[in-house]
Amino acid sequence: MPKTITEQNLRLLVDTLLKEGARVVAPKQAGTMALYEPLKSGDELALGALPRRSAKETFFPLCETILTFEKDKGGVRVNDVDPASFPETVLLCARPCDAAAPSILDAVFSWDYNDEFYLERRRKTTIIGLACTTADDACFCTAVGLSPADTRGSDLFLTPLEGGGYAAQAVTDKGKELLEKRAQFFSDAGSAKPLPPAEPAGESLDLEKIKSWLDNNFENPLWTEIADRCAGCGACAFLCPACHCFDIVDEGTEAKGARRKSWDACGFAKFTNHASGHNPRDMQNKRYRNRIMHKFKYYGDKFGQTLCTGCGRCIRACPVGIDIKAVLDEINSK
Amino acid sequence: MCDNKNIYLPHLATIEEIVDETPDVRTLRLVFQDEQVRENFSFRAGQFAEYSAFGAGESTFCIASSPTRKGYIECCFRATGRVTESLRQLEVGDTMGVRGPYGNSFPIEEFEGKSLVFVAGGIALPPLRTVIWNCLDLRDRFKDITIVYGARTEADLVYKRELEEWQERGDVNLVKTVDPGGNGPDWDGKVGFVPTILEEATPSAQNTIALVCGPPVMIKFTLPVLERLGFTDDAIYTTLENRMKCGLGKCGRCNVGNTYVCKDGPVFTAKQVKAMPQEF
Repeated sequence: MPKTITEQNLRLLVDTLLKEGARVVAPKQAGTMALYEPLKSGDELALGALPRRSAKETFFPLCETILTFEKDKGGVRVNDVDPASFPETVLLCARPCDAAAPSILDAVFSWDYNDEFYLERRRKTTIIGLACTTADDACFCTAVGLSPADTRGSDLFLTPLEGGGYAAQAVTDKGKELLEKRAQFFSDAGSAKPLPPAEPAGESLDLEKIKSWLDNNFENPLWTEIADRCAGCGACAFLCPACHCFDIVDEGTEAKGARRKSWDACGFAKFTNHASGHNPRDMQNKRYRNRIMHKFKYYGDKFGQTLCTGCGRCIRACPVGIDIKAVLDEINSK
Repeated sequence: MCDNKNIYLPHLATIEEIVDETPDVRTLRLVFQDEQVRENFSFRAGQFAEYSAFGAGESTFCIASSPTRKGYIECCFRATGRVTESLRQLEVGDTMGVRGPYGNSFPIEEFEGKSLVFVAGGIALPPLRTVIWNCLDLRDRFKDITIVYGARTEADLVYKRELEEWQERGDVNLVKTVDPGGNGPDWDGKVGFVPTILEEATPSAQNTIALVCGPPVMIKFTLPVLERLGFTDDAIYTTLENRMKCGLGKCGRCNVGNTYVCKDGPVFTAKQVKAMPQEF
């Protein structure tokens, strides 16, 4: 039997989960923008807003400790970080472009070596997706094969209904379990119709055709044309739900400190700089090329998936107006 | 390392010996502190590790010692940045971190019954030194062994004591060279750039494997020489020395096209390298 949940009950569900010790991450108003942030109460839930940053911090924090160290007379003592201590988490009202990303990233964090910092958070997180009923000029999820009502990556999926409230559809066993365990907040579906999904303006892309062009155009004037404007600020990578490059840095002193894993970006000038000073990607056009190649060719070559969910955040935030969708459109038209 | 849940956790190792190769290049001999790790740690020639100076961070170097020498590993580095400067501050008896071994390796078993030509420049001898000792320790499995090694000046040659050892043993043909002007009055080697000296040495390509490591410009000029000598691209091996952080195929730093140097490499044949986009 299909279920629905009212807005009020959604907020009460948050309160209940928090009371039981879970971490609830959801869109929350933070000054002039909304962000996916840990909530303190259901009242903080910002239901209509598209968060400025993606939800990837829920699984892959901007900066996290992977070990600590202390030096004393006896030598160095290294303390491990136990991922088992990570809290059970509910990522609530994740937009389809954000909900789909972790299921793509699972591949890189679990091939050959398992990154338990990421994977344990994934295991402990239930994703409740939320369909989009509005889209802006930068949204292009449909162009990369997703949609505003796509349930990919969600455990439970909410669709706004005419007159208020949400249809709740279990997508995975985890979602089904949540529906059953929290049955008091859900009702049997009535006759209310779902609001029509958003219609992103972008035309559909032929991802196979784009990949095939990328296979054969490592050297092409296009890369220089685009990169003439790129400032190498890394905003696109930091806002992207799928970019996952990171650095490993020590903080503290030689005597005591922590080793931390921090987001990094292939657009940064020194990302590939060798100790000798030789830099294989010494120009911004080479760095931008790598970004597009990684998303639409390399990740596909390795893991069979596209590393972009069409969220449009890189377009909204680019200080020099580089529009990845326009770049893809151009490649698609060649 | 794979059995540990935290893939970023290093083993602790004690610095047992320090050798200053040049004013800014240093070799560290490391012994793992955990007895079980010491006994179980194994690697293949060509593999690399992440070495840490706690408080500064991690740097990537090949394991420079031979897998045939048990009980310790060695790394060799030039102090050029924060981590390597910190590693250089450490003294005998101090603790550092090592995680690895990572990456692929030289297929030494496939080289058996063949002659070997090692071509190295400057501080790129360590990735070949591991193979050289590996093969010298199994000397009867290989035919002729030629080592062409050059640096800018006499002072820049690393492993000087081992160069003497190789020169003195009767079963290695060592050709050492320095760039024009880099020779002192007592220099007993050649004077000239590595590719030129290699061509003069004219090693036979017949049933021979060439192993080349050096700065990109040396490799660029060495490959045509090897080709003229008759070496095919699949008989030439090199290592790509890309910058790495995780060493585990995740941090997204070391790729050349869709090849992840930390996982698919660092050892490649010239044939493989030529098929890659020229971005290294």
